[in-house]
Amino acid sequence: MNALLAFRGLFARQAKGFTIALVLSLIALAAGVALLGTSGWFITATALTTAGLGFNLFVPSAGVRAFSFIRILARYGERLSGHDATLRLLTDIRAWLFTRLFPRLPLSDRSLRHGDLVSRLTADVDALDTAFLVAIGPISAAVVIGTVLTGILAWLLPAAALVYGLSFGAAVLLVPVGLVLASRRAGTAIVTRAAAARTAVLDGIEGHADLTLFGALGDTQARFADIAERLGAARGRLATLTACAAFGVQALAAIALAGSLWFGLRAFAAGQVDGPVLVGLLLAVLGSFEASSLIVRSVAKLTTAMAAAERLSAIANAPITIADPAEPVALPASLPIEMTDVCFGYDGGPPVLDNLDLRVMPGQHIAITGASGIGKSSLLNLLLRLAEPQSGRITLGGVALSALTQSDVHASMALLSQESPLFNDTIRANLLIARQDASDDALWSALEAAGIADFVRGLPRALDTLVGEGGRTVSAGQGRRLCLARVLLSPAPILLLDEPTTGLDRAAELAFFALLRSAAVGRSVILVTHAAIPEGTVERVLTMRHGQLEPAEASLARVH
Amino acid sequence: MSKDPAAPTTTKLPSDARARTGSDRENSRTLSGLRRLGGPMLWLAIGAPLLGGALLVLQAWTLAGIVGQAIEGGTAVETLTPSIAVVLGLLLARAGLAAIGDRAGTAAAEAIKSLVRQALFAHLLAGSPRSANQPQSGAASSAIIDQVEALDGFFARYVPAMVQAGFLPLAFGVFILPLDWVAGLLFLVTAPLIPLFMALVGWGAQYATDKQARALSLLNGRFADRLRGLTTLKLFGRATAETDGIVAASDELRRRTLRVLRIAFLSSAVLEFFAALGVAGIALYVGLTFIDFLHLRSTALTLELGLFLLLMAPEVYNPLRLLAAHYHDRAAAKAAIGEIEAQLGPMPKSVASLDLPQPGTGAGALGLKLSELTLRTPSQTRVILQDAALTIAPGEHIAIVGPSGIGKSTLLEALARLRPHAGEISLGGQPLAAWPEADLRHGLVMLGQKPRIFAGSMADNIALARPQASAAEIRSAAERAHVARFADALPQGLDTILGEGGLGISGGQAQRIALARIYLRDPGIILLDEPTAHLDADLEQLVLDELLTFARGRTLIIATHSLAVAARMGRAYRIAGESLLTTPVAARAGRSVA
Repeated sequence: MNALLAFRGLFARQAKGFTIALVLSLIALAAGVALLGTSGWFITATALTTAGLGFNLFVPSAGVRAFSFIRILARYGERLSGHDATLRLLTDIRAWLFTRLFPRLPLSDRSLRHGDLVSRLTADVDALDTAFLVAIGPISAAVVIGTVLTGILAWLLPAAALVYGLSFGAAVLLVPVGLVLASRRAGTAIVTRAAAARTAVLDGIEGHADLTLFGALGDTQARFADIAERLGAARGRLATLTACAAFGVQALAAIALAGSLWFGLRAFAAGQVDGPVLVGLLLAVLGSFEASSLIVRSVAKLTTAMAAAERLSAIANAPITIADPAEPVALPASLPIEMTDVCFGYDGGPPVLDNLDLRVMPGQHIAITGASGIGKSSLLNLLLRLAEPQSGRITLGGVALSALTQSDVHASMALLSQESPLFNDTIRANLLIARQDASDDALWSALEAAGIADFVRGLPRALDTLVGEGGRTVSAGQGRRLCLARVLLSPAPILLLDEPTTGLDRAAELAFFALLRSAAVGRSVILVTHAAIPEGTVERVLTMRHGQLEPAEASLARVH
Repeated sequence: MSKDPAAPTTTKLPSDARARTGSDRENSRTLSGLRRLGGPMLWLAIGAPLLGGALLVLQAWTLAGIVGQAIEGGTAVETLTPSIAVVLGLLLARAGLAAIGDRAGTAAAEAIKSLVRQALFAHLLAGSPRSANQPQSGAASSAIIDQVEALDGFFARYVPAMVQAGFLPLAFGVFILPLDWVAGLLFLVTAPLIPLFMALVGWGAQYATDKQARALSLLNGRFADRLRGLTTLKLFGRATAETDGIVAASDELRRRTLRVLRIAFLSSAVLEFFAALGVAGIALYVGLTFIDFLHLRSTALTLELGLFLLLMAPEVYNPLRLLAAHYHDRAAAKAAIGEIEAQLGPMPKSVASLDLPQPGTGAGALGLKLSELTLRTPSQTRVILQDAALTIAPGEHIAIVGPSGIGKSTLLEALARLRPHAGEISLGGQPLAAWPEADLRHGLVMLGQKPRIFAGSMADNIALARPQASAAEIRSAAERAHVARFADALPQGLDTILGEGGLGISGGQAQRIALARIYLRDPGIILLDEPTAHLDADLEQLVLDELLTFARGRTLIIATHSLAVAARMGRAYRIAGESLLTTPVAARAGRSVA
């Protein structure tokens, strides 16, 4: 519940829409109760009247018509304004989540899987809509209607007021609270199991080839069947609780009606109440439970919303491991990189970087080689401030990295990482991510520099070709080069290239190294690779060994 | 997002202008077909409210009797107490029936949804993983999880409501007709008219609902896609722009949803209007008869009967109101069916079993013979091989080299029966197509260029190749693939949990974990696609040593850029000019050969 309350600020932004919906729903419910009450009073009065044609028909029949129409219009307006406010709220929540998410990247929670994240940002956000629309609104409306009718009963039929008030109160307050408490676990189970099912599907599709090749589809299918059944079972549990609660509300309504009937008839026999008034009140009591019957189904969804809110809060309120300084220093014009005595290791693991030193002057091109997994990529992450060193000092343009804003740091460096993705969009859109205002000429020269211009030119739709999800429609090597073109297109004065030639054959690799010099002229380049680098590609080759950088053996740098 | 007719991702997405009337009817038929999966629970969900309807008549009759007798007849309360108890009993019985019906409806819907999900997932996995029709993973998971969820309301609520609406108003009308012909006639005439009006309104709703379902799919697909590369987007300073994009997509979804709801709510309003007219008409009719203004009855109207009519009036229209309230569920379910079929193809009739039978025993090294083999790129735009021929003897080790993008991966995938081909591929003297799946997967292993690391421990990932492998066997495979080297540096070793897609490990490490899988198998032929792409020269040689030891007595085909790898193979071929040509390999180890 607390997690849900954390969203109240966003709820408040749509307060106007929700208030309109609430008022309209009150009007609709009141008109419904009044309609039945007036009708009951009207026909009983006409049955008992001795006035014959002299009976005043107009007031009650006009009332019946008016209440009918008010009810219809109010109901229509309530539904529209309520849904509109809710959908606006969902958009606000999505935007809010994304703004909270970006500063927390990369997420420290490694177990947070892609499918799970997607679930959180789609299904969980959707689950929140029920919180107001179907729970808070109807309960408030029901409480108001119940209180007013109890008041009217206390005035006209005091004997029935107590039994009605208690039954109705229990139906709209106790039963929903009981349902929420009882269904907490089922609600959480539904949300987490739905996310698990989604992850299973994503894993199945993205690992389809591997699963096929190892004949593991049968196991995958059995696991998914298990998850699907367990999701159904959790929903079933919630449905059982909901059905019990619905029965509870109806039983209370039955007691309220039977009680009002019995006390009402006694009061009538004692002459304390008119026949028409009694019938009108009895029908009003019957009608008022329309308000409470709506509540149960809505409240059943509340626990799911609460579980969803908790999962969303877990992302949105994750600690920001790397924060911007309170008073950031402006980015200097010239940007030498300096790392001094830097130590770094992943939590609990052995040190990856151990008192490492590195100096890269503006416009200088260097290469770092070394065995795979030795910490070359970690070094790049430290430079981008995606991770913090345990000790030592990293400066950019003579300013400590931690004194600059992250956006300045990121804007000054462009990274080609080993897992740089292509997005399900056109080649053009994928490139423009690096520089929004790039001209077509700039796009082509970046593609040229990455050695993929001919391929793109040969496509029927050239730059407007869709690359498919994860770049599926192009080969791994081509995808890699498109990512490289994106990095080259970026205006950043420093390029960080992590294994840029993976997926390229030796000829293409050499062509790339030859191009790099001219393509990145005037920019600093840190090239991380295990490929042999032809002489003259970079000014300096360093080898990483035991967490430190040392000049590469002459033989490695001097290849043909 | 722009669309490209040539790209496979769009071929499965019909345009918004898809012929709606035809597919609409088909969607209805598909939905009806799914109904049988609900079993007896669905019958209970339908039957319970009908019984409740019968009790309702009794309840209204008794209640009207009590009030009429007390007020008009002056009967003492004590005499009426048993009747009041009957009313209470009837109310409780109806509440119980309603709860049972609701619960049974959910049970039926859950059973149907679970089966549909399993059938769709099986259908998805049964297809070729490299088929151009493979859906985008975000959209497919949205179809299987979210769109299937949208079927819930149809089975849990709409179907029972539909039966009630078709039966109860008429039954009530027929019951009332002999008691008061005017009221009975009014009910019998107005009730059937209402669904007619609703259908008119509903037609518009369906179109809008379809568009909304499409917008939801797009939004979910976009989320899945962007979340994959969030860090990249952040580094390029695109946080604000992406957030704006999400807001715009979300707002578009809101606008479309509201368009649906406006029409859906209008259909309920139309119905409420007629129901209100009916109730007001009965009240007026009863009132006017009482004051002797109307004389349509041959006998006098008692208060008891008048009250009964008034109590029944809303109830006659109630099943229809219920139907209207759930009408949107039907539209949503039909749209969901349409969206599911657009993403994943026709709804499968049953859950296909993907379990493989026990394979025959290993047949030893498998030779390979290609003749007149023609291969195209995945997008079918370019020919990779035209009438190529190649014979590889059992136990031979072959390298396939060539510039990236030339089609080496496509060739290997065709050899592993992941891709269609024209011409002939014969494995172990038997046409590839004729191999039973179980035997093929037992005899042939392949390591792709981007192997999938599943969320789970390193050991789990390796054991994918043989789920029943012992810890010692997994350990030994990890050592042979040089996984143990980096795994042992981690506090939890091979039990270290990896993020989905290999989050937290480098590309080279992921590749070696996938390579370790092979050591758990006993294949006759091994296909490897760039197995050492991420490795430095020293490690490459170590990995190759182990691999070649394992591949002794087995056929091995490696697609590679690395001349160091090619140099250690028996023969090498390159793809050039749409055919496979032998190419000399320097018999010296050293990756730096240019």
